Amino acid sequence: MDDLSLLSDFSLFLKEKKSEGVKIIAYLAHDNIPEELLDAAGFFPLRLMFGGNDDLMDASHDFLPPSTCAFAQSCIGLFSTKPNIFRFLELVDYFIVSNHCVSDVCVSEIISKYFNISRLNFYVPYTKNESSLKYFKLELLDLKNKLEDIIGTELSDEKLLESINKYNQFKKILLEVNELEMIGSEKLKIIHKAMLYGPEFLPDLENIIQNAKDNPPPISDTFKDVIITGCSIFINDNMVDLIEEGGGNIVFFDTWIGNHYYSQIIDDNSLTSEKEPLDLLVLKFKNNVYGDHSVPNFLELKVSQIENYYQDYTKTKGKKLGVINHIIKFCDHISLMSSFLKDRLQKKGIQVLNLERDYSRANRGQLSTRIEAYLEMMK
Amino acid sequence: MSLIADEIIQFSSVLRIAYNLLAGRNYLKRKKFREKEKLVAVTLPFSDLAFAADTIPVFPIRMHQFEINQYLTYLGSASSIFGWNTVSNFLGFVRNLGIEEVSKIVDEIIEDVIDVINKKYNEMYDIGIENGISSDFCYGLKSLVGMHVSKGSNVDACLNVTIRCSAYNKYLESLKAINQGPKQIWIDIPPRNIGNAIELLTDNVSNAIKDFEDLTGKTVTDNQLRDHFKIGNQVKRSYKNIIYDISSSDFYPCNPATFSEIMALLSITYQDYNSNATRYRDNIVSLEKEMRERIRKGIGMDVSDRPRIFVTPMFGGWEPKSHEIIYELGGRALYADWELLKLLEEIPTSPDSNPAEEYARFLMNATETGIGCDNDKLTDSYLRIAKDLNADGMVFFQLFGCHSVSNCYTMLREKVRSELEIPTTAITFNKIGESIDQMKTRLGAFMEMFK
Repeated sequence: MDDLSLLSDFSLFLKEKKSEGVKIIAYLAHDNIPEELLDAAGFFPLRLMFGGNDDLMDASHDFLPPSTCAFAQSCIGLFSTKPNIFRFLELVDYFIVSNHCVSDVCVSEIISKYFNISRLNFYVPYTKNESSLKYFKLELLDLKNKLEDIIGTELSDEKLLESINKYNQFKKILLEVNELEMIGSEKLKIIHKAMLYGPEFLPDLENIIQNAKDNPPPISDTFKDVIITGCSIFINDNMVDLIEEGGGNIVFFDTWIGNHYYSQIIDDNSLTSEKEPLDLLVLKFKNNVYGDHSVPNFLELKVSQIENYYQDYTKTKGKKLGVINHIIKFCDHISLMSSFLKDRLQKKGIQVLNLERDYSRANRGQLSTRIEAYLEMMK
Repeated sequence: MSLIADEIIQFSSVLRIAYNLLAGRNYLKRKKFREKEKLVAVTLPFSDLAFAADTIPVFPIRMHQFEINQYLTYLGSASSIFGWNTVSNFLGFVRNLGIEEVSKIVDEIIEDVIDVINKKYNEMYDIGIENGISSDFCYGLKSLVGMHVSKGSNVDACLNVTIRCSAYNKYLESLKAINQGPKQIWIDIPPRNIGNAIELLTDNVSNAIKDFEDLTGKTVTDNQLRDHFKIGNQVKRSYKNIIYDISSSDFYPCNPATFSEIMALLSITYQDYNSNATRYRDNIVSLEKEMRERIRKGIGMDVSDRPRIFVTPMFGGWEPKSHEIIYELGGRALYADWELLKLLEEIPTSPDSNPAEEYARFLMNATETGIGCDNDKLTDSYLRIAKDLNADGMVFFQLFGCHSVSNCYTMLREKVRSELEIPTTAITFNKIGESIDQMKTRLGAFMEMFK
């Protein structure tokens, strides 16, 4: 299934939801939005996880200068131009303004204000100490209260716990995708679809995973295996194709759209404990230590995570592994840390390609050349 | 520049502030090596805890050696023997005698102060890029990275206060990768004042105080905090008086370009009080007095026919020539960034108050109603100040690579048009001195609207 048919099917799915009276809450795709809370209150959480192009970026310049994150620009472009395959964005009832980065705040605020979509706030602290975890709970409570105001009824702990369990189970299964012997582009399609549809995709997901385990699709021996870290590869983005055309195969998606999402699993002991459901969501936030939003230990944790994966992979597979740090142009978090990340990993003998790009067609050739040169070096 | 210099000589307090800014390196070396004091790097006006903990806050650029005009060096040396007022009066006297050579020297001194600071900022910018920060970031961040790469290893700690700008917060995290030595002291400000957020922020402030105690081995008492807040409050009072009573009035104690120059100097130095709060307080209080005295005597300039142009933001980088150009085009440039961001609010110091909590309230107030957790609030801050200053127009510096403040311009322009009905224009900025001709053209067209 290509991206166009995925979006077309999803459009029908969303219309059906809407006709059932389900309201839709959209947000930028970051990894700290408590979708369980939205689900428990009967809303459909719509993660904006769509790549951009020249037209979408250009369309955002009425609102923001071009020196804004290309993904953020494209999100505005989607609402501003509403291309046919994205008409489902007209179905959005609420938009969450959050602060994963300051572009998240600006873009969400612009979408809400200029495209007349009711706004909900959900802000995330930068550090992860005792106070900030307590603050995170305040934000959860605030969002819960706002959702209850909208639905006109109190959201029970049972209902929330049910959603937490549902998403937890979904992520456990999705996590298995990491281990599948499958070419990266195929993995990414599964991840995209799963994260777009949410737990309703679970039965299909289980089948796909089982099929892939039973009949592993052949992968050429000539491919060089790589991890992708940094910014996500979103739906409708050709980055994965460029890497595969250059001879690379992504074996691990260490990004929002990937491991950052489905590794956020709450352990069974905590789930069965007497903890309040909101505390479980706080725990999930606390454990999301590899997310790029946090300071001050993101760099150390990220280096050690990649190093561990690298060591484990090379030991078990006996193959070299590259690291592509994907930087969407003007991304604050990934760009600022990129030179430090590369230096530290290279000191440990891990070769890193800092690959910066926006969504313009013009740089495709240059990106291909850089990817090919990097993979060539891995020989 | 001679007109500007001509005026500044009358303000000995300005010479003192400029000298203390440029001669910071020697002062800091003395503090660190002879007096064994701890140096703490600060950025933005968040130096209060460092002062209260008896450490020496420093905006890192001040650890550099500046090419101080040799005559300013002599003045500095002379002032330590005769006192600044005597030196300033002497210069004024000699100047009035019409001794050309001395006049030239004084002109050069003032011109040098401004040029030297700007050159050093640009040097830091280049060092930042050479050392790996992407050129896509704003001028302020690139310069800050340059400052830490070049001099950050000299400090004992960095005081890191999170704000709404994600690039800034990540830059703060990167400091320990740039220099492993300094202790990193963090204050995370919750983005919104909901629930018991003040209590949580108070805990964060208290933890930072504990970190300072670990750094110095000395206890920080409530009274030390209050005593510093009292000094800080006096600084803020004078700064606000200069902004509201003087900069928005129709008679200036000097020509408007000089006035803007002084405001720019205050904006830079307010971040670390030139590493000495008492000295800075004395200087700014005396600056206010000197200004009022001149106005009382009718010395200065009637500026009632000059439109008030609010120029902002400048704290992350701006073109310092802008106020001169605006002056030449018949206007006057007003600077008030710290007031806009609510960083000139006084902190209560009553004996029964909890100073950590009061400081938390100060930070939260700045976050909520000054800097703002979103652009709606931030743009309201611009409107508030433009109204309070009776601004006739607004020039907005849109920094290349700034994703926080610069991104609010579309919303700001709409609000200014609908609520204030004054002209506004945006000027893109990347590096000091890079596009002055373009800026002149733009400002020329903008100032035409007032004729």
